[in-house]
Amino acid sequence: MSPRPWWRKLGHGSLLLVATVYCVFPIYFMLVQSLKTAQEDVFGNPLIVLNPTFENFEELFQQSGESHGYVGRALRRSYPVLDWLENTIIVFAGSVAVTLVVSLLAGYALGRLRPPGFRWWRRLIFASYVVPHTILFVPLYQVIVSLNLENNLLALLVVYPTLAVPFCVWIFSAYFQNLPRAVEESALVEGASRLTAFFRILLPMSKPVVVAAGIFALGTIASDFTLASILLLDAHNKTIPAGLATMEVALDELLAVAGINLMAIPVVLICAVFARGYVRGLTAAMVEGA
Amino acid sequence: MGRARDIRLAYLLLAPALLLLLTALAYPVGWEVWTSLTDLSPVNDHPTSFVGLDNYRRLSGDPAFWRAAANTVAYAALTSAVKLALGLGLALLLARPFRGRALVFLAIFLPWAYPASVSVIGWYWTLSPPIPTAYSVFMGNMKYAVDGALGGGAWAFVSVTLFNIWRGSSFIGIFLLAGINAVPPELFECAALESKSAWRRFWLVTVPLLKPFLALAVFLALTTAFADLANVWMLTAGRIVYPVLGTHAYWLAIHGGQFGPASALSLTLAPFLLAVLFVLFRMFDPPDQERA
Amino acid sequence: MAQVMMKDLNKKYDEVHAVKDVNLHIRDKEFVVLVGPSGCGKSTTLRMVAGLEEITAGEISIGDRIVNDLPPKDRDIAMVFQNYALYPHMTVYDNMAFGLKMRKFPKTEIAKRVGEAAEILGIQELLKRKPRQLSGGQRQRVAVGRAIVRHPQVFLFDEPLSNLDAKLRVQMRVELKRLHDRLETTAIYVTHDQVEAMTLGDRVVVMKDGWIQQVGEPLELYGHPANRFVAGFIGSPSMNFVEMTVADANGALWADTPGLRVKVPPASAARLGPYKGQRVTLGIRPEDLRVATGADAADYSFDTVVEVVEPLGSEILLDLKAGPNVIVARVDPTVRAKHQDKMRLSLHPERVHFFDNKTELAI
Repeated sequence: MSPRPWWRKLGHGSLLLVATVYCVFPIYFMLVQSLKTAQEDVFGNPLIVLNPTFENFEELFQQSGESHGYVGRALRRSYPVLDWLENTIIVFAGSVAVTLVVSLLAGYALGRLRPPGFRWWRRLIFASYVVPHTILFVPLYQVIVSLNLENNLLALLVVYPTLAVPFCVWIFSAYFQNLPRAVEESALVEGASRLTAFFRILLPMSKPVVVAAGIFALGTIASDFTLASILLLDAHNKTIPAGLATMEVALDELLAVAGINLMAIPVVLICAVFARGYVRGLTAAMVEGA
Repeated sequence: MGRARDIRLAYLLLAPALLLLLTALAYPVGWEVWTSLTDLSPVNDHPTSFVGLDNYRRLSGDPAFWRAAANTVAYAALTSAVKLALGLGLALLLARPFRGRALVFLAIFLPWAYPASVSVIGWYWTLSPPIPTAYSVFMGNMKYAVDGALGGGAWAFVSVTLFNIWRGSSFIGIFLLAGINAVPPELFECAALESKSAWRRFWLVTVPLLKPFLALAVFLALTTAFADLANVWMLTAGRIVYPVLGTHAYWLAIHGGQFGPASALSLTLAPFLLAVLFVLFRMFDPPDQERA
Repeated sequence: MAQVMMKDLNKKYDEVHAVKDVNLHIRDKEFVVLVGPSGCGKSTTLRMVAGLEEITAGEISIGDRIVNDLPPKDRDIAMVFQNYALYPHMTVYDNMAFGLKMRKFPKTEIAKRVGEAAEILGIQELLKRKPRQLSGGQRQRVAVGRAIVRHPQVFLFDEPLSNLDAKLRVQMRVELKRLHDRLETTAIYVTHDQVEAMTLGDRVVVMKDGWIQQVGEPLELYGHPANRFVAGFIGSPSMNFVEMTVADANGALWADTPGLRVKVPPASAARLGPYKGQRVTLGIRPEDLRVATGADAADYSFDTVVEVVEPLGSEILLDLKAGPNVIVARVDPTVRAKHQDKMRLSLHPERVHFFDNKTELAI
C-alpha cells in the first residue's frame, strides 16, 4: 500500500472526531448536569460545569425521614435509593446469569447435539426476539401473579432473560456449530465425561463468546424500564430505572440525572472492561468453520 | 455415544430456554391473540363475550389506525435505515488500525453500553426540559418549531427517534465491526486488487460480504425501536401522544380499559414483523457444516 | 499393551454406508496403518475404535474386553488428532496432565510422567506456554506427548502429520517410528499418504469405499498387490496400467495392444492361460522399466516417444507414449532425453502384474 496523502488522513481524522463527539456528547452532557448545583443548572453554561459538586449524589442517599425540604410549596420526598441500588444489582446479576446458563445449554444442544429439526428450533427461538415484550404487559402481569411473584424481584428474573435469551442462543449455537469437534473429542478420549468436557474444556475455551453474550444480555436488560415499573410496584422494591421514573421530574431534575449516572457508570465500566472481549466473542460466533 | 441419547440430552438442555420463553412469551402472545377476539375489559359489568374479528374490523375502518400504522412502519423503517447507515460508517471507520483506535472504539461503544433505561430518561428530559434550565429556551424553541410543523407531540416523538438512532447506530457499529473481523482479510485484499474505486469496492465487495451481518443488525435494530417508544411512553405517563401503534395500544388498554381492541391493535404489527423475519432468515441462517 | 480385534465392523450413516464388514486383527505392540483416499472409511473405523462413533454392527475388542458399549474414557486409549486438538486455554503442561488428572493420578506422579514425556519429545522448555504460542511442529509434539503420558493400551493417530509442511512431516515421521520402537505400544494410524503408510506401518491396511482392499506388510503390498486399486495406490509415481489382449502366438502367450506388444513372462503364463483371447490389464511400475540395451530380450522391449522429462536429480521421470498408451518410466539420471526423442524401453519380466478387467483382482 502506498502512503496515504495528507488530505485522506485529515478526512479520516475529522470523521473520527465527528463520530466520537456524536457518540459521547449526550453522555457528557448528562454527566455535567449531574455535577451542577441548582444555581448553576439554571444560570450557568449548559455545556460546562464550573463548580463541580457531588451534592446531587449525596442527596440521593439521604434517607432521613420522608421528606428533605421544600421547593416553593412542594414537598420534596426522599427515595430509598440504596434499596434500589441493591435491587438493581440483584436483578441484573441474576438475570444475566440465568440468561447465560439457559442460553449455553440450549446453544450447546442446537449447535452440537443437533436434534432433528434443530434449525427450526433455532429459528423459532430467535423469532421470539421480535416480539415487543413491552406490549405484552397485561398477560405478563397475569403470569407473574399466577407464579405468586407479584411485587417480587424474582419476577424480573423470569421476564428479563427472555429479552436476551433468543439472541444469546443464536450466538452460542452458531459458535458451537462451527467449533471443531476434535478438542471436545480429545477430552472424551482423555478420560472426561461429556459433562466434565463441557465444564473443564468447552466452557473455558469459549470465554470470549460467553463474555459477548453476557455483555449483550446486560445491555439489553439494562435498557428496560417499562417492565420493571409494571412488575415492581412497591417503592422499596424498585430497580433504579423504575425508581427514577417515580421521581417528580419538575422538582428533582438534578437528582434524577445523578441517579442516571449512578446506575450508568457501573454498567458502562463493566461494558468497557469487556468491550474488546465483546467484539472478539461476536466475531468468534460469526466466523464460519473456524 | 448413542445418537438417541444425544437427542434426548438435547431436548433436556433445550427445556429451560423453551420453558422460559413459553411462560414469559408464548402465553402472553397467545393471550393477546385470544383477547383480540373478545371484548375483555376490566370495566365491563357483563361477562366477556367472544366477538370474532370485530375488533379488527373496527380498526380497519378507522383512519386514525391507518395513520398510526403508517407512522409505525415509517418510524421502524427510517430508524433502521439510518442506524444501519451510521453503524456501517462507524464500523468501517474502525476497521483499519490507527493510533488511538481503542479510544474511539470505546467512544462508539458508549451509547449502547450506557443503559438505555436511564439514558432515555436523561435524553428525553434534556430535549424537553421540565423546569427552567440554562438550555430550556433553546429546546423550547425547537419544540415549538417541530410541533408546529408536524403536529402536537411531534418533538417528543422526534426526540425518541433521535435517541433510538443514537443508541442503535452504536450497537450496529460494534456488531458490524465484529462482522468485518469475521470475514477473512484476503477477501478484502483481493478486492483491492480487483478495483481501484473505493466506492465500487464498497458496493461490490464490502456490502455483499457483510450481508448476513447487515441483515442480522437490521433485525436487532427493529426490536429496540419498539421498546424505546414504550419506555418513553411509560416514563411520561403517556405524554407522547404522537400516534404510533404500540403507544396507541397502551392508551386503549390502560386508560380505556379496552383490552380487546388494544390486543388487536398490538397484533396488527405481527404480519409486518413476520415478513421481516422471513426475509432475514433467508439471509443469515448459519450454513450447515458436514460432519467430517 | 493389547491387541485390537474388529469383527464384521459396519458403520452406516443416514445415507452412507461408510464402513463395510471390516475384519482386522491388530496384534499386541503392532503398528498398523490404515490408508486410502478420502472417504474410504479409514477415519470412521479409527473413530469407532476410539468410541467417538457408534458402531452400527459388528464388534470391537481391545485387549480381551469387548468395548462396543464403553464410552471413550473407559477404553484406555489415547488419540492424536489432525489439527492437534490442544486445549487452547491450558498451558502445555496442563494439556499433557489433563488425562492423568481425570484419572486421579497423584500430583507427583503426574509431574514425573509429564517430565518424562517432555524429555522424550524435547519440549521441556515449552511446558509453561499456551498452544497458540507454539509452531505447528511444536503443537504436534505436545499432542503426541499428551497421548504418551498416560501409557495407554493403544495409540490412535488420525492423520497427525497432514497439517505439517513437507520437511517437518518427514522428520516427525522418523520420530514417531523411533517413539514406537521405544514404547512398544499398539498403534493404529490413519493417513491418506501412502509414503507415510509404507514407512511407518508394521502392516498396512488399504481401504476404499468402506471395504478393506488388502492387509499386509509394506513390501508385500508393493510387490504383490491384491488388486488394481492397491497396485495403483501404493508406490509413487504410480504403476502404469495398459489394457491389452492376451493372444497365442508361436507357442507362447503375448499381451497385445496397438503400439505395445510384449511376451507374457513364463511366471504368469500359466495363470493367464484361461484369459486367452480376452482383455486384461497389464501393470508395470515406473521403476521396473529401463532404457533397452542390446542385451535385453526383444520380447520384453517396445518403442516409445518421449513427451515430458522430469529430472529429479537422483533419477529422471519420463512421460512416454507407446502408441496411444501413456507410460511413466523412472530411469537413471545419466539418461539424456528430450521432447519427441524416440526411445526403446524394456520391462522387468518378473515384475509385470496382470489384473482381471472385470474384478480388478490380480491374476
